[in-house]
Amino acid sequence: MTIIQVPRPPKSAFDPDRPVSSLLKAQMEYLHEAEKRLPSRYHSEIYVNAVKTEGEAAKYIRHVTEAIHAAHLDAAFARMRVIPKRKPVIEIAAVADEQAERKAAIQKKRSGKKSVRKDRPKT
Amino acid sequence: MAPGLDKLQHIVVLMMENRSFDHMLGSLKAVNAQIDGVTPDLSNPDTNGNPVQAQPLAEFQAQLQPDPDHHFPAVDLQIFGGSTEPNRVANMQGFVKSYFNQQKDAGHSQKIMYYFAQNQLPVLTTLALQFAVFNRWFASIPGPTICNRAFAHYGTSFGRVDMNLIYLNEPFKSIYDRLIGATPKHTSKLYYYDTTSSTMEITNLLQNQPELFGTFAQFLDDCAKGNLTDYSFIEPNFNDHESDSGEEVANDQHPDHNVQAGELFIAQIYNAVKSSPLWPNTALLIVYDEHGGIYDHVIPPACPPDQFTASANDTGTGMPFAFDRLGVRVPAILVSPWIPAGTVVNRVFDHASIPATVTKFFLGDYSPRSPRETNADVFIEPNSGAVDPARNLLSLDVMRTDCPDFDV
Repeated sequence: MTIIQVPRPPKSAFDPDRPVSSLLKAQMEYLHEAEKRLPSRYHSEIYVNAVKTEGEAAKYIRHVTEAIHAAHLDAAFARMRVIPKRKPVIEIAAVADEQAERKAAIQKKRSGKKSVRKDRPKT
Repeated sequence: MAPGLDKLQHIVVLMMENRSFDHMLGSLKAVNAQIDGVTPDLSNPDTNGNPVQAQPLAEFQAQLQPDPDHHFPAVDLQIFGGSTEPNRVANMQGFVKSYFNQQKDAGHSQKIMYYFAQNQLPVLTTLALQFAVFNRWFASIPGPTICNRAFAHYGTSFGRVDMNLIYLNEPFKSIYDRLIGATPKHTSKLYYYDTTSSTMEITNLLQNQPELFGTFAQFLDDCAKGNLTDYSFIEPNFNDHESDSGEEVANDQHPDHNVQAGELFIAQIYNAVKSSPLWPNTALLIVYDEHGGIYDHVIPPACPPDQFTASANDTGTGMPFAFDRLGVRVPAILVSPWIPAGTVVNRVFDHASIPATVTKFFLGDYSPRSPRETNADVFIEPNSGAVDPARNLLSLDVMRTDCPDFDV
């Protein structure tokens, strides 16, 4: 089996100050359209037309991507919060049943105890 | 009997950015004469008509600045050499002229003809020689990134030749929607590098179906745990940025991003697939979205038109475009332990072949699809009925154990 060494790029390859390319501009414009459709609490305060470098573009892209995921997660969570409303009712019912059973058992026990007491020979 | 196809359960596609076949793999002609790479006679005229030869002088970074123009009018010039006659003939003689137009620098414009020597790209050239390399895989459109990537997801760009990313309420479903909507249901995932790079073209899906998306870290984890979906599409990192783990260098190989960073990325993906328990069951396609304005010598062929037409105004050339010609040739390599080393494929493909292949393999007959996709060839044969051995690239009877490893 051949093992091939893969050289790493030099440190100098990293340049977040590189001017933003037309590709990244298109991506930002697209994400800006997506951002506008999100509820306002997810909006960034970044003015996309003022973004000039890859580093600045990256911050905006990250914000909107995370905002899209967060908006969907929040919506899913809200749906989950609505659906389980019935659950507490069942639980309450179950608790009520349990309470009723427990009450009955206590009463039975009490009445049993009483009878024991009653039956117990006086000393 | 095709054991490779019998075993195949997962198709993974990695789409890199903006490099032509000759630029990345042209050097391999000297190693394997079947590979249609660079020969010493290839040249383009400069603005004075003097020939500029293709030379192995490409550099990893800082050479192709500004980014070579690859929008529709520029690619038209690159392919047709500047002719706008009705009966013009493609000749691939306009690359230097096109790059000259950007800076009016005759010396600099020659760099568009440069290609990488084999030893500069140990990952891509090794994979090309060790598995199947495609001599005729073309971009879907003689145009820029977004419309070309759309073909990989939808089998069409719905008439667009530009960088518009919005594809809503269109008549054809994405490959992801087809798979997850099928009965029985199939699985699919689009992995972007991280949230700071995000996804390039299908914000429609990101907005409405974020569950279809994962990050590169998740891809590595899915490979390691044997959790790959039926179909996976991977996007590289499109920008330099800081992350929690430090500096992330763009690895998409889009000029002027560092080409070695892309090599490393390809090697990581290959290693992840190869070390996965799913290696016997997985085929990995590595392909580039378009040529990025960089020289290639093969004339893009005509193809059956799509049902859409881009207007003369939209193309910017004064001529409408019926999507009846492919874009410039790009590198494409298919990796699987069932492919013999040194396989060279001469059939014609473009990015519409991706949804065509995935659809036919997992779903069989499917409708509706675009005319371009319906007419596109498939690179993996559907494993139903008789398989034509002449077309089946996963042709070995026994899985290879001599596949290379990359030390990253």
